[in-house]
Amino acid sequence: MILEIQGVSKRYNKNKYGLRDFSLKIEKGILGLLGPNGAGKSTLLKMIATLSKPTTGIISLNKNNIVKDADFMRRRIGFLPQDFGVYPNLNAYEFLEYLAAMKGIGGKGIRSRITQLLEGVNLMEAAHRPIGSYSGGMKQRIGIAQALLNKPKVLIFDEPTVGLDPEERLRFRNLITDLANDCIVILSSHIVSDIDSIANKVAVMKEGGLLHYGSQAEIIEQVEGKVFEEMIAPEDLSAFKVDHLLVSTTRKEGQILVRFITEKPTRQCIEKTPSLEDAYLFLTQKSFKNI
Amino acid sequence: MGGFFSIIKYDYLQRTRSYAFLLTLCASLVIAYSFIPGPDANYYTIRIANHVGVYNSAWLAYVTAIMASVFISLLGFYLINSNIKKDIDTGIGQIIGSTQIKNVYYLLAKTLSNFLLLGTLLGIVFLVSILLFFVYNDGFDFELITFVKAYLLIPVPMLFLTSVLAVVFEVLLVRYSVLQNIGFFLLFSALLTSGAFTETQFAFDVFGTKIVMHEMEESVRTLTGQQEEIDMSIGYVLSDSKDTNGFIFNGLDFPTSFIISRVLWSVLGLIVLFLIAPFFHRFKVRQKLRTLSKKKTLSTSKGMNELELLSMPKPPTNYSILPLIKMEFWMLIKQGSKWLWLLNITGIILLIMLPLKLSHQMILPALWFLQVGRLSSLSTKEITNNAHYFAFTAYKPLSRLLLSQLVAAIILLLLIAAPLIIRLGIQVEIEEILSIILGSILIVSLAVVLGIASKGKKLFEVLFFLITYANLNKILILDYFGGMPHNSYYLMNLLLLSIPLLLLSFIMRKKELRNY
Repeated sequence: MILEIQGVSKRYNKNKYGLRDFSLKIEKGILGLLGPNGAGKSTLLKMIATLSKPTTGIISLNKNNIVKDADFMRRRIGFLPQDFGVYPNLNAYEFLEYLAAMKGIGGKGIRSRITQLLEGVNLMEAAHRPIGSYSGGMKQRIGIAQALLNKPKVLIFDEPTVGLDPEERLRFRNLITDLANDCIVILSSHIVSDIDSIANKVAVMKEGGLLHYGSQAEIIEQVEGKVFEEMIAPEDLSAFKVDHLLVSTTRKEGQILVRFITEKPTRQCIEKTPSLEDAYLFLTQKSFKNI
Repeated sequence: MGGFFSIIKYDYLQRTRSYAFLLTLCASLVIAYSFIPGPDANYYTIRIANHVGVYNSAWLAYVTAIMASVFISLLGFYLINSNIKKDIDTGIGQIIGSTQIKNVYYLLAKTLSNFLLLGTLLGIVFLVSILLFFVYNDGFDFELITFVKAYLLIPVPMLFLTSVLAVVFEVLLVRYSVLQNIGFFLLFSALLTSGAFTETQFAFDVFGTKIVMHEMEESVRTLTGQQEEIDMSIGYVLSDSKDTNGFIFNGLDFPTSFIISRVLWSVLGLIVLFLIAPFFHRFKVRQKLRTLSKKKTLSTSKGMNELELLSMPKPPTNYSILPLIKMEFWMLIKQGSKWLWLLNITGIILLIMLPLKLSHQMILPALWFLQVGRLSSLSTKEITNNAHYFAFTAYKPLSRLLLSQLVAAIILLLLIAAPLIIRLGIQVEIEEILSIILGSILIVSLAVVLGIASKGKKLFEVLFFLITYANLNKILILDYFGGMPHNSYYLMNLLLLSIPLLLLSFIMRKKELRNY
């Protein structure tokens, strides 16, 4: 199972690009997609999901060009969009049955699959109530259930953990890890911790382009020897922010412990083991901080 | 105060910066143009006995002002009656509810924004009426003041009241939009048909049209010397223009009582707004409705379970369109309130009980119009519910999903018409049965095309209302279901309209999918 994105661009007008000459080869496993707002993550996911067509370039699944033959992908995809809506008058069973019919699956076995999925996302109690009355977390769970309806070969999750509580996030991560044994999972998120524990590969995007692609270790390598911590006085924080790429701040005994990235450490600071979050910030913000 | 005007300004801009409004403006141009029939037109809009005025400033000004007062207020209501609902649906209302704005200011701002919107449409009618004066130039002097006076005193107060009524209905009936529509229509019909013959009674005419019609009648009476009752009509009625005689209408000097009454109607509107302001829900709508229905937001404390995906059966493939048609049909059935089905059932019983001709001519179009909400959401529900992510990535979204939507809606309309079809079948009226079938295809395709084109429901809803209004007034050209006698080409014409519309719906959805 190979998903290839070759020289894909999405141009909205003469000067505005959502994605620019983007290429990536994705194989079985979990790909974490990281990037700030406007990086082009959702644009890329929509094109893979056949919701939108690239202005130029090819997207192919197992050598089948899905830009030309979108239905080839549609038979094999499970898609959980960001900010998706539901048909509020339908209950969970009806909604999933409707989406199953849209996806081209049905027959006798479909009812039991829907039941199992609803049990899995713990919506059986509310399965016969209109979805319009569901809370945000419940809607997100039914979104996850619909993505798994057709036993997809390509699973796309755009900000999937929005609305899920910490325990649900953990279960969701386990679920994705299970799924990735058999298919391609593309997971886009702002939350680095959603990705760093499970992604086999990580792609960092910015301004419609690919900044870096590789395993987590390869990405973290970029900030090896550049992550430090230091205690500073609260009044010095503003000036410190100007000169350093700040990762985090923690208040401690009237002072502030700052974690930052630099290539020119001072004598007082202590070097730390870098994380994916450090590397992500380094890659996406280094141009601003002139590091 | 600056904030108050900002609400009006940005509310107006928000509503007018849309493709749907552009289409509405185009429709207004066409409607305004139709208010004054051309020299060879086979219809008239205002006729007194068999007399029609010559095309001088007064006739053009007053006829278009009367038509605007009646038609823009009727159709306009359906354009503006979801202004507060939009704030509920978008969640903006939650923010507004938490600000300091007083109920009465918010409602007044919404009223004035409604009024500006209707005023824009009226402005177009006004300009077209002046343009038509020069196009149909009969050698009379152009009198701008006559146009201004007619418009200021006839449609302007009526449109203001319509704006108020739209807000009042939204406040009192909250989300029951069908009830709002029907309520306004009944009120409108009652006010339009009420008689006025004296100066005092003219002051009570909210449309402001009866005083002018009376003056026109007097002009004809003077010309013909006729003393008995004179037949007058407002609306689109088919007739050969050669059958009519011309007469000169010079307008009228409005009595002071009438002028004051027009101002008082507007003041009354403002008073009503002040009176209902304490009853405004201030966007506590969801909680309110839930309390009524004893429902509450569902939220389970238990989160996701462990999903045993490997143990799940492999999902069976089924590319048949039938499950989709079944689900689309089920969604159509579930949409709308239960009491609307009571109305539907009443209508279906009337289709069985009433004389065949009456059932076909009057009951069927009214019954089909009751499905307007279902039809208008047929191709728009994906976008309005933000569920297009699923629908547009469905397997074969054109040949399966769109087709199933069309088929489900046609089945619904034909099932509703089933008693009539059976009665016609018993009498072997094959041509009429075919007309009904083609009519259902035509109206469903039109709903889909206009829904995709405007990305909203309003355009089709207003147009369908207009068509139904024309059907109930027996305007032959808009009979799409064979309710009236037609020539032998009628079925062919229906087919020639239905098939391209059907094809257009596929082309437009394909374009929508490509450009999304």
